[in-house]
Amino acid sequence: MNTNKENRIDEILNSLDGCTQATAPDFFYTRLKARMEKEVAPAARTSWMLRPAYAFAGMAIILLINVLAVFNQPGTEDNTATSEVDTFQSLASEYRLNEGNSSISMYNLNQDK
Amino acid sequence: MTEFELIQGLRNGDESAFRYLVDTYQNRVFNTAMGIVQNAEDAEDVAQEVFIQVFRSIGSFKAESKLSTWIYRITTTRSLDLLRSRKSKKRFGFIQRLLGEDNEPTQDIPDFNHPGVELDRKENAARLFKVIGKLPENQKIAFTLHKLEDLSYQEVSEVMQTTVAAVESLMHRAKQNLRKLLEKELE
Repeated sequence: MNTNKENRIDEILNSLDGCTQATAPDFFYTRLKARMEKEVAPAARTSWMLRPAYAFAGMAIILLINVLAVFNQPGTEDNTATSEVDTFQSLASEYRLNEGNSSISMYNLNQDK
Repeated sequence: MTEFELIQGLRNGDESAFRYLVDTYQNRVFNTAMGIVQNAEDAEDVAQEVFIQVFRSIGSFKAESKLSTWIYRITTTRSLDLLRSRKSKKRFGFIQRLLGEDNEPTQDIPDFNHPGVELDRKENAARLFKVIGKLPENQKIAFTLHKLEDLSYQEVSEVMQTTVAAVESLMHRAKQNLRKLLEKELE
């Protein structure tokens, strides 16, 4: 390497000697505080979801969706019908409505007419 | 205000203590960040992040080292994080251009001029900063803290949590690498 080049490199390497400290820009503290407040604010903003009115409305919507989902399930009606017949049959046998009492009830019904 | 009083004040959420901390350290933090990220706006961004982190995690500061050492450590870490995110953005931009999603031309980063450099040395300093940017992270940190912040090898070793001998070695390698890079630059 020639001496000129070496001197040039040394010159560049020493260019930071005596360099003074860069100072932070004006109003640094003001901007820093503004940023800190801004970073805290979003957490407060999300709290609207926790207000009772919104919370209850949300719960009501979820409940409504669930109720609709239960009643709109395919095959629900058939199952209900079968279970209703089973219940009536078991009640009838329990109270012996299929035997002698049934004629009384039929008689009474006919009398009402 | 002593360092102990300052730490106690910060732990109690005292705003005057925080103001004192910022006033005392803002130039050191800004200057260090500036040397590493080589951009005034980014350096201010890093400096703000540093003080926010100091404010939030002062409770976990065990005072095993000086407050200034801890702040320098946060500053260098944050600055390196910014450089890494800048690099990944650059890579992502490159991939986007390859895929033809972004047709904007790439902008070359202009030469960095440190405001504290004397006028007649500005051109040389800009060249030096350009090659400092190509150094490995730990060499970059050691060189910046020593040359720009005027920290002793002992202080640098405390910030970097290493030995003085390791810092000496880092500085030696940094100078060697800078010399090689400048040789290429001047060809």
